[in-house]
Amino acid sequence: MNEELILQHGLTLDEFKIIKNYLSRDLTIEELGIFSAMWNEHCCYKTSKKWLKKLPTENEIVIQGPGENAGIIDIQDNDGIAFKIESHNHPSYIEPFNGSATGVGGILRDIFTMGARPIATLDSIRFGLIESEKTKYLLNGVVHGIGHYGNCIGIPNIGGECEFESTYGYNNLVNAMAVGHVQKDKIFYSKPKSIGGLIVYIGSKTGKDGIHGASMASDVFSEDDEDDKRPSVQVGDPFMEKLLMEGCLELMSLGLIESMQDMGAAGITSSSVEMASKGNVGVLINLDKVPLRQPLSAYEILLSESQERMLAVIDEKNNLKVREILQKWQIDYEVIGEITNNKRIVFESNNKKVVDLPVDIIVDDAPEYDREFYMPRKRKGKDFDFSRIKLEDIINTLLSNLNYLDKSWVFNQYDSTVMGDTVKEPGQSSGIVKIHGTQKVIGATTDCNPLYIRINPYEGMKYTVAESYRNLIACNINPLAITNNLNFASPLDPNIMGELVLSIDGLKTAAAKFNTPIVSGNVSLYNQTNEIPIKPTPVIGMVGSNQDLKKINSNKFCNIGNKIIVLGKKLEKNFSPYLLQDQNLASSINEYNDLEVLDLDYEKKVADCVLKMSDFKHIMSCNDISRGGVFLSLLKMQYKDMGFKVNIPDPIDLFCEYSAGYVIEIRNEDLNKVTSFLSKNGVGYFEIGEIIRENIEINSKKFDYFDIINNYHNNFEKIIN
Amino acid sequence: MSFKSAVITFPGSNCDRDALCYLQDLTKSVVYSIWHEEASLPQVDLVILPGGFSFGDYLRSGAMASKSKIINDVIKHANDGRYLFGICNGFQILTEIGLLEGALIQNKNLKFLGKNCFIKKKFKNNFNLSIKEDQALQIPVAHNEGNFYCDNETLKSLKNNEQIAFEYCKGEFSNSEENINGSIEAIAGITNKKKNILGMMPHPERAYSDFHQSQDGKLIIESLIS
Repeated sequence: MNEELILQHGLTLDEFKIIKNYLSRDLTIEELGIFSAMWNEHCCYKTSKKWLKKLPTENEIVIQGPGENAGIIDIQDNDGIAFKIESHNHPSYIEPFNGSATGVGGILRDIFTMGARPIATLDSIRFGLIESEKTKYLLNGVVHGIGHYGNCIGIPNIGGECEFESTYGYNNLVNAMAVGHVQKDKIFYSKPKSIGGLIVYIGSKTGKDGIHGASMASDVFSEDDEDDKRPSVQVGDPFMEKLLMEGCLELMSLGLIESMQDMGAAGITSSSVEMASKGNVGVLINLDKVPLRQPLSAYEILLSESQERMLAVIDEKNNLKVREILQKWQIDYEVIGEITNNKRIVFESNNKKVVDLPVDIIVDDAPEYDREFYMPRKRKGKDFDFSRIKLEDIINTLLSNLNYLDKSWVFNQYDSTVMGDTVKEPGQSSGIVKIHGTQKVIGATTDCNPLYIRINPYEGMKYTVAESYRNLIACNINPLAITNNLNFASPLDPNIMGELVLSIDGLKTAAAKFNTPIVSGNVSLYNQTNEIPIKPTPVIGMVGSNQDLKKINSNKFCNIGNKIIVLGKKLEKNFSPYLLQDQNLASSINEYNDLEVLDLDYEKKVADCVLKMSDFKHIMSCNDISRGGVFLSLLKMQYKDMGFKVNIPDPIDLFCEYSAGYVIEIRNEDLNKVTSFLSKNGVGYFEIGEIIRENIEINSKKFDYFDIINNYHNNFEKIIN
Repeated sequence: MSFKSAVITFPGSNCDRDALCYLQDLTKSVVYSIWHEEASLPQVDLVILPGGFSFGDYLRSGAMASKSKIINDVIKHANDGRYLFGICNGFQILTEIGLLEGALIQNKNLKFLGKNCFIKKKFKNNFNLSIKEDQALQIPVAHNEGNFYCDNETLKSLKNNEQIAFEYCKGEFSNSEENINGSIEAIAGITNKKKNILGMMPHPERAYSDFHQSQDGKLIIESLIS
């Protein structure tokens, strides 16, 4: 086999040598395709595996940790929650609409493959600066794509984040998360149970789309590549997925299926290899039986990433019944092979074995690299000159920066109330849905602070986890578990590798302290184009619950006259990275002071107090404090005709970032009870002001209420058009 | 009195369960779930055509569902003078069948619209009896093709026959719009001439329970039962 062909398949010559030595023969082109798909970063985590192993993945509520299609946690009774986040970064840059749509489709399949009915989606999307026409095109396409798929299949979108920053200009990020509800005694795994079980193909016909998508996702881009790669992007059909979902869930509820695996990245190849590896069995598949949309070679069938397809194992006696149910849903169904006992992956085509490989070499012998990494340099302390910064200017810069503005333009393109169980829609501290037919609710949020992580990957990651944690706490949702999506540039650069290693370490520390294990995740590396690496962006999705939906906190002001109290510890203005960045005080990454060490014990202590006060119904409304400080939290809490007046020694402190930061609204009659409770528990608080009608006042200075509110709500749409 | 009802499910319907729960909770009576390939409907007082993307909205929203096997019986049910209610995609299907006039075209901003909106009743009918004049109901919309369109003659006859059931209006939020999707005369829902068939774009079945942001959606079913 010639070198060029090997390199084109994304394998190094060393990696190829390992395979050839193991097999003691040359490979068929189909086999090379299989290794290309299975040994790339996207499928085998060869760079990150060593570090991911260190993450806490278990506790008393984890039913399924990483390694399955999705993680599952126990929320009491017979209820389990399956969830996962996944990236579709590169496809969404090449073709924003279909790239992001199929990202949503893929993550939903991961959920219902396990027998769970999807009940919510979230996302985390990042783009370059809006001044570029390209960014506008990408933003429109991505939001349209996410909306189109989720709206059509009918799963509510309940939240997410959307950030604009220059390093994402040629490498936007699209991470999609899905949450599903499963009955604990009806979970399905990818592991087949019996030798001789039939391998069946369920779903859309196979076409040419996405061939080599998985290896594309691990390539470094150059700008003029995008046209060449376009045929590699999958095209989604949410209607087909809706039928597939209903069909599969019906089969599962009737117990007609043994195991199931989504044909995601690297299609039939990865799904069958996963199945064989999990069950410690072999598979024999006849590619001639695969339903095709157009004539394809064996090689193309193996690597096609056509969407909306499932591979399942069934007992032969259920064959007719399964066919009948899928016929009702108008879904293609074909028996294409069987589970064997020889631990080999065998694919036949035209009465010839085109692939015959031991499972071990593909999975267990997949390369694992211990790449070199550098620790970040120590930072010198620096004082910034705030003397020329005026309060009005800070507010004006905030209200003209997309990252702070109300993002209804995005959320309003998503259906967030379908299924009738939505309690909190996007744009609030966290999204919340009710578990159908119960009083239980699930809250979920996605977060990342790339600037913090670039300054100090370890501490920055702790802040990211703490921010998600606070988002849930502010709603009186008890945080339970995490899914992560590690988006980084090329790990071949030891600085980037250092960010990867240290942020995983920060994730580990924070997740362990909060007792929120990581139950699923995804890694997306090589996010750089034209030598511009993205900021480190390890996004996390955090899920929590409350057994009683009546105990949920509002994130919006309730009543005029109520007191406003700030909890937590302020990062001083010289140490608030986003304040420095967005007020143009720091111009290069080297100028920032090191992040203050985040005290996780304190974070937890304040959170416990917020939960208790919420249960006592002492908190009328609550929001966490993050980028934009207390001021932005107050703006987010503004509702109907309500405004606020605050008094603070240094008004610039209103814009500082926080650890363990919350703004809470309490009734006057509860003030003494609340403050003595906080003092007794050693939680710092500051009575900052009260809710007033149609006014915004800072230290007795009146601001134009309607101007600020209208700008906050409407500027996003003005700026992007 | 027992008020029986049924919800039709087409491939791609995604508000069928929501409609089912809405009816069960508010009518406290039998609600049948009917698959589109069934030949006949049970005897019921009300049939709902639910929201969603029936047949993927391929060809045109509602066009393929309007040719389903069950539709013959749906037409018969309506011709007998019993209630038929299309919500969102269901409204689109009713215009495709021809039971309601006009058509639903793409929203004026050419984008999907998923948000709370406010509607008020225009002309009285059995679906809105319990709603006060000028009462603004808060009910979510979620549609891409909800922009009601008809020619001038049809509009005139819709008015003369008092067929306009609901129109969009401004709500209590300072930034709420009067006509969210560009519909002619802000029409949100219409009936047939006999006023036993209602089609509307907003989703009352997402605004009735105590945890929903609004319970205004109750009023429609309460009007029918009272």
